[in-house]
Amino acid sequence: MTRYEVPSTAAMIRTLAGVTLKRLGRGKALWIGVMFAALPVVYAGGIRARSARFSTEHLSHLFQLSTLLLAVLPAMFVGASVGEEIEDRTSTYLWSRPIARWAVLAGKLVALTPIVVALSVGGWLAGTWAGSEAAPPLASILGLAAGAIASSLVVAGIAVLVPKHGMALTIGYMLVDLFVGAMPFSLQQLSVTYQTATLAGFSTDPPSTVTSVIALVAISGVWTAIGVTRIRRLEV
Amino acid sequence: MTPSLSPAVASSSVVVADRCSKWYGQVLGVSDVSWKLSGGIIGLLGPNGAGKSTLIKMMAGLLLPSRGALTVYGENPFHDPGVRRRIGYAPEHEQTWDELSALELVTAMARLAGVPAERADKAARDALEQVGMVPAMHRRVRGFSKGMRQRTKLATAIAHDPDFLLLDEPLTGVDPMARIDIVERIKQLGAAGKTVVVSSHVLYEIEALTSDILVIYRGQVLAEGNVYEIRTLIDRHPHRIRVECDRPHAIASALAAEDHVVRISFERGAVVVETRDPDRCYDQIAAAVLSAAVAVTALSSPDNNLGAVFEYLTGDGGRR
Repeated sequence: MTRYEVPSTAAMIRTLAGVTLKRLGRGKALWIGVMFAALPVVYAGGIRARSARFSTEHLSHLFQLSTLLLAVLPAMFVGASVGEEIEDRTSTYLWSRPIARWAVLAGKLVALTPIVVALSVGGWLAGTWAGSEAAPPLASILGLAAGAIASSLVVAGIAVLVPKHGMALTIGYMLVDLFVGAMPFSLQQLSVTYQTATLAGFSTDPPSTVTSVIALVAISGVWTAIGVTRIRRLEV
Repeated sequence: MTPSLSPAVASSSVVVADRCSKWYGQVLGVSDVSWKLSGGIIGLLGPNGAGKSTLIKMMAGLLLPSRGALTVYGENPFHDPGVRRRIGYAPEHEQTWDELSALELVTAMARLAGVPAERADKAARDALEQVGMVPAMHRRVRGFSKGMRQRTKLATAIAHDPDFLLLDEPLTGVDPMARIDIVERIKQLGAAGKTVVVSSHVLYEIEALTSDILVIYRGQVLAEGNVYEIRTLIDRHPHRIRVECDRPHAIASALAAEDHVVRISFERGAVVVETRDPDRCYDQIAAAVLSAAVAVTALSSPDNNLGAVFEYLTGDGGRR
């Protein structure tokens, strides 16, 4: 009989996260992501070249640009990785092994979410520094980080549900999310980008940290639950 | 209604399929398959689309039966990770984590199969050595030929020392020398007490491995038992062998005068030989490749004649 025991889920997640990072490091996606993350710096540099003063309005535009990146970066990293694993059938190697299927999703999120957060927040920090030579408010950093985490979870759920063209679909969803968040109706409460802006203090509505955190947890929780439920039943 | 298996029957066999069916929407994968596998090497034979991969995927825990039941070591492999640690699976498709080197890939797969971190590297190196991939183990899989990919897939399947191996078309596209190596390796695994299921649409590949076969056609088990009975039927029909290489004419010249060769035709970068004696033909192709130093990139058997035999068996009422 085979000598080895069923591995622990934590060990599996670590292994999967390590492989995901190794593969990412050897592809082009990381560098393309870095280029996208540099867009706030380009914007801030352009403003500084035209005007000596970097106004509050400029800072607000810079934040909007950063939330736009939430439509792109999670899709580029998490959406593409999850979708390709299922669509390219490399998942057959994983699911024929003694691991919980949700661990595959968890491994990818553990590896890729910090990168999405680092690029989103890093772009925002670099952009504000390039514009105003000052650090942005702490709330904006934490808000953007929370938004990046929630977006990654949402995107992972969608990519499991519709793995084919995972990246394109998740970018599309997040653009709709931006649009919904900009609408002056209660529907905007369902938008990750709206809640991110509120949490970061860049919404026109009065800030409500608790409500925004609950909303982000609820939205990302629903999509994560959908993704986990689907991946447990998925046949390849 | 889901038929229930007697626990004693289920646990004493490696695989028990009880009236097992699988549909993909309206498309039939396998239909009403009842089969018991106790051990050894068994060849799963059938033309493309017959249901071989579906049956293998159900045994690997990748698919659930739409109706009926299938157990491996008495457990449902789809739901039970414990039984999957005893399974080594090499899929038919070529996609894998191409960004990794062969060693990294096999090490990761060994880890995911439960090999502790401190032993995974050695287990992977041993597995790669067994399939003859040590010289290329630090190269990325992206640049591998089909034969090298097949060997690497086999290494991922055996690295964690499983009891039950599922090899889906492991000889497809493999050059003659590698074919001999892989066949020998699979035989060794069988001799070591492993249970091995090998699928192929080419009888001669299966015949080189085992005399026990399960013939599947249109999702149904058509015959189970000895390969030689099927071979007699097959041999009545010419068998096609396609060799992709840099000098197809060199291979054609070497075979043109042979009495068993019915026809030789050329495709772009390939020669297709129709023969009434595949065993001899494979040997002579290998000899021609070596003597003329031909670089072979793929060797396959687009064996439509097997389908004709299955049609014949079906028309005859099969063996069931």
